[in-house]
Amino acid sequence: MIVCVAVVGHQNNPLYIQSFTEADDALKLHHIVHCSLDVVDERVNNPKRSGPTLNETYLGVLYPTENYKVYGYLTNTKVKLIMVTTDLDVRDADVRNFYRGFHAAYVNAVSNPFHVPGKKITSKTFAEKVSTIVKSFG
Amino acid sequence: MEPDVSIETSSMIRVAVVPIAGIPPQLFRDYAAMLLRHHTVSLSSISSFYTEHQKSPFSNQPWESGSLRFKFMLGGSPPSPWEDFQSNRKILALIGICHCPSSPDLRSVAAQFAAASKTYSSALVYRCFAFCPGDSQLEEESKLVLFPPADRQTQEFHLQTMVQDIAASLLMEFEKYVLQAESGGTILKTPLDSQATLSSEEVIKAKKRRLGRAQKTIGDYCLLAGSPVDANAHYSTALELARLTGDFFWYAGAMEGSVCALLIDRMGQKDPVLEEEVKYRYKSVIMHYKKSFIQENAQRVSPLSFELEATLKLARFLCRRELAKEVVDLLTAAADGAKSLIDASDRLIVYVEIARLFGLLGYQRKAAFFSRQVAQLYLQQDNKLAAISAMQVLAMTTKAYRVQSRASSEPFNDAGQTHVDGGKMHHHSIVSLFESQWSTLQMVVLREILLSAVRSGDPLAAWSAAARLLRSYYPLITPAGQNGLASALANSAERLPLGTRCGDPALPFIRLHSFPLRSSQMDIVKRNPAREDWWVGSAPTGPFIYTPFSKGESSHSNKQELIWVVGEAVQVLVELANPCGFEVMVDSIYLSVHSENFDAFPVSVNLPPNSSKVITLSGIPTKEGPVAIPGCVVHCFGVITEHFFKDVENQLIGATQGLVLSDPFRSCGAAKLKSVYVPNISVVPPLPLLVSHVVGGDGSVILYEGEIRDVWISLANASTVPVEQAHISLSGKNQDSVVSIDSETLKSALPLNPGAEVMIPVTLKAWQLGMMDLDAAGSKGVPTGKQVKDGSSPMLLIHYAGPVTKSGDAETVSVLPPGRRLVIPLNVCVLRGLSFVKARLLSMEIPAHVGETYPKLVQVKSEGAEKLDSTERQADRFVKIDPYRGSWGLRFLELELSNRTDIIFETSVSVDMEIPDDKESLPLCNCAEFGSPKTRIDRDYTARVLIPLEDFKLPVLDGSFLVKGSQTNGTARGRTSSFSEKSIKAELDASIKNLISRIKVRWQSGRNSSGELNIKDAIQDALQTSVMDVLLPDPLTFGFRLAKTSSDNSVKLDSPKNSDMETNYHVSGGSIVAHEMTPMEVLVRNNTKEIIKIGLNVICKDVAGENCVEGDKATVLWEGVLTGISMEVPPLQEIRHIFSLYFLIPGEYTMLAAAVIDDANEVLRARARANSLDEPIFCRGPPFHVQVNGTS
Repeated sequence: MIVCVAVVGHQNNPLYIQSFTEADDALKLHHIVHCSLDVVDERVNNPKRSGPTLNETYLGVLYPTENYKVYGYLTNTKVKLIMVTTDLDVRDADVRNFYRGFHAAYVNAVSNPFHVPGKKITSKTFAEKVSTIVKSFG
Repeated sequence: MEPDVSIETSSMIRVAVVPIAGIPPQLFRDYAAMLLRHHTVSLSSISSFYTEHQKSPFSNQPWESGSLRFKFMLGGSPPSPWEDFQSNRKILALIGICHCPSSPDLRSVAAQFAAASKTYSSALVYRCFAFCPGDSQLEEESKLVLFPPADRQTQEFHLQTMVQDIAASLLMEFEKYVLQAESGGTILKTPLDSQATLSSEEVIKAKKRRLGRAQKTIGDYCLLAGSPVDANAHYSTALELARLTGDFFWYAGAMEGSVCALLIDRMGQKDPVLEEEVKYRYKSVIMHYKKSFIQENAQRVSPLSFELEATLKLARFLCRRELAKEVVDLLTAAADGAKSLIDASDRLIVYVEIARLFGLLGYQRKAAFFSRQVAQLYLQQDNKLAAISAMQVLAMTTKAYRVQSRASSEPFNDAGQTHVDGGKMHHHSIVSLFESQWSTLQMVVLREILLSAVRSGDPLAAWSAAARLLRSYYPLITPAGQNGLASALANSAERLPLGTRCGDPALPFIRLHSFPLRSSQMDIVKRNPAREDWWVGSAPTGPFIYTPFSKGESSHSNKQELIWVVGEAVQVLVELANPCGFEVMVDSIYLSVHSENFDAFPVSVNLPPNSSKVITLSGIPTKEGPVAIPGCVVHCFGVITEHFFKDVENQLIGATQGLVLSDPFRSCGAAKLKSVYVPNISVVPPLPLLVSHVVGGDGSVILYEGEIRDVWISLANASTVPVEQAHISLSGKNQDSVVSIDSETLKSALPLNPGAEVMIPVTLKAWQLGMMDLDAAGSKGVPTGKQVKDGSSPMLLIHYAGPVTKSGDAETVSVLPPGRRLVIPLNVCVLRGLSFVKARLLSMEIPAHVGETYPKLVQVKSEGAEKLDSTERQADRFVKIDPYRGSWGLRFLELELSNRTDIIFETSVSVDMEIPDDKESLPLCNCAEFGSPKTRIDRDYTARVLIPLEDFKLPVLDGSFLVKGSQTNGTARGRTSSFSEKSIKAELDASIKNLISRIKVRWQSGRNSSGELNIKDAIQDALQTSVMDVLLPDPLTFGFRLAKTSSDNSVKLDSPKNSDMETNYHVSGGSIVAHEMTPMEVLVRNNTKEIIKIGLNVICKDVAGENCVEGDKATVLWEGVLTGISMEVPPLQEIRHIFSLYFLIPGEYTMLAAAVIDDANEVLRARARANSLDEPIFCRGPPFHVQVNGTS
């Protein structure tokens, strides 16, 4: 089950962060997303590792933490799509599939002419779409 | 658990360093620092201190390359329950440090050291170092190691020797211990071992284990003694034994030792093979620690801490970017494991280590996360020291969360360079703006800092945290929360000494609003040394705002520079905003200037909730040089902070890009402001300063339209520098209203010394109000001084400057001090005075008497006579109507003037006499001057003034006037007249203007206001409409007179002279008597250049206006033809027709001549304004009076 998804801008500024849990653990999830940026940064800045996967937007598991697994996805505009899940055993294909939908939703949201790049995404449609994708996952 | 562990830790000899006998902490730290440098002592250097008492067990000791490592424990540490397990945990040596001057009795020092030694039972070597002993102390016999006072280098050398001595002693002790251990006998236990009495089977097992444990311990000592090969040998044995006995805990310990031995042996090498080996072995270490977990002990003690320690050791060993994944895995495992640690302080240490390792790895955010965990653990402890630690740890996380205090992060590095990179932002600032969006996390961190600071009793840190929280996240904080923070600020400030400074600004937000332009009274003008008139070009001249000619000049650079003068107060406008829900009281705010040549004046401001304010901050430059104003110093909430304009600017830029939560100014409803360019400000030495005032009050001078008045302007030098040059010029609108300026007075007063004053008279003449002004004044009802505001007043510009050279400073001659410009607006408020309502041209026909002479007509064309005539009349002051001359066509210009003001005006009209310089076009009118009679116009009254303009018709009705260029306009007849009128107008205009210019209406009101009414345009308008009638002669003119003789019937009036002579001759006679045949003649003159055929009629009317020639009751009989006399009048000629009348009744009769023009040409039609061809053209002469006397 996905507990949190986030869109993080290319300057590591959060554009959208939404948790899907009942419990009041937004802060914890914020921390997890925030910490995962370390790993993304590391992957981006470490050319040796990213060599063979240069054109790969899907970063895979960023790190496992406590009961969660954090997945990352980096668009070619350096926008990070982060997903936190409690399922410790997830098929890679599912995650890729999820990210495909997530990325499309993000692209649609920022294609809105009234969206200012760099500003937080406030589109309701985007939020609905994301929650649909999240619900259909796994 | 211990912090700072690494694989090599196992090879370090632990030495406690304790202060003895009241040594001041600072000195202890100094001495300890000297000691800490000797953490590694090479074996080769201690060989001289080493004596081999028996055969060394460390057979493979590398005397050449090996070394002993020390780990100095400052302040000592309590003995560890695990010191049997890992010998490096034992305190093996104790060093006491004392400072002799502070404890003179060396004996008591020795006693105290002895007492301290007792707590360190495991120590093998004890030394007490006494620094700086006195001479008497040196002589004393004691066990202390005395360091005689010497320079630092000597002391350090001395210390090194002593440390080497300690190392040698330790080595010998280790040998002793190992030999003893090999012989057996020591029982090694850990808290992990069961405390219960052992069963017999277990005793046997324990014995076997003891051997293995002993081997492991010997290995430890070998390692400490710097002999990894020996250690390895012992560890191998220990491993074997531990494996056999299932002593997993010791197995893991031995394995750890062996890895350490391996690393020491391969000192400095780091090849992948070694790495793999270490990794592999440590994995097994971790696994065995895990295996040694015994459920029954789990509540009391657990090997978990060793497992975690081993994990961290491995992580530290591997901690490199390339291996980040493995390290992260290890650290994640450690973090997970830490949760099940029993001891909170162990957990704290694990988190600290994890945070450090993440930091080393470059995972700043993770490091920050774990640091925060550490801080939370500290905060759980609920004591002041823990709170301080929590605060410090949190302070380290602020960088990763981008909420760091400015004091800690960038100590005033941007104070000086504000100007250098004016517009662009630091990269750092941009990033921090972006990352400042993790507000959820950031606020939590700041709150925790605030909490820990409050708990640890650090008001400044609390203040700073509250300030950062409030300033950055006010939009996310509820009003109640904002109030809470405000009171936190106030509470913290209460505990701070007065005048405490803090690096982090709180509220309000301050931005630069503008640099107000220097008042026009004090304008500074750069002097052009090459020109005498140095002010030229300094200010835009001429009517255009932009001229291409001035573009290339230095006006561009002028704009960026601001010149301040030493000793003259300057002002800067800043805008403050308080977006929070409580009132902010700024105790004082002033400009912060780091260049130290500026005295800023503090002001205090109150900002109500959610408000912004523009305030003026002022100060006085004190020294020459550049001035930079990076921000403001604010004393608010009890603490002094410096607010930099650039921070707010960046924030505002961020707000526009959506990076920052909100724009504090906008949320307060402040107007949007473009970013202010900060000019380069330079301070120049004192300049002269002229202060002006208008004598009699600086208010505006109220003048009525056209009024002329003298104004005195007083100029005083208010500076300390004399004025040596001055030049007056005019600028602004209505410059022509300044009639004269006595600039010589100013020139002669130069140099104007400080304090001196000079008065300049200026003569003003009020201008005419435009239509707009009139409308405005009319609609408002009251003509107030509003006109002054719109800048219609002229301005006096005085450019002045001080001495060219400064005294005794010959080199700076080339650098001229700038001059100044004083702008004195001549505030003239022009009121509507007499207003002109309308002008009308009135024509009057006063019938002439029929005498023996013809009336003086236009056609009388003698120049000489004309001149004579006019000069003659010039002397006359009044209109005199000569009854015989007749004055038909006498015209008056009637001016209607109304007085809407509340004063009384007296007007007089004059027509200036001038000899006309154009001969033909302007036949001189009857210009009489009416100087003396004055027309008084009371308030709210209207009066009419008459100006007589006698007949000034043109002599000839020339077709050229009318039909110029329209000979072939037979098809367009209808338009002929309009064409011709247009064409004639231009020619007439000149003559009209000439006439008008001579009409003057002067007025006077009260004692000292007088002026002239400018009504030229109005007169012109009035005249223009009837210009045709005024100037163009009729085509025919008629005249009557009594015929001299009835005989000469058709004598042509050939010359005017004759006529004049006749006039003179007949002037006395000519009375008509009733019942007598009266011969009369009618004279018809053709004023055109073509022959005119006419049918002439003569009519005689009595007083009642009845025709008395025809009809039943005719009272006049006639002889000759009176009606339908057809004649042809040659061009410019006259024709007479003679007839006789017989008056039956005496009385007054009127003679009228009228003619119908046959076959009128175009000119005549145009003149008569005939519309159709068929229309008969009538021409009518003026009436003539005939006085018929009775016969009695």
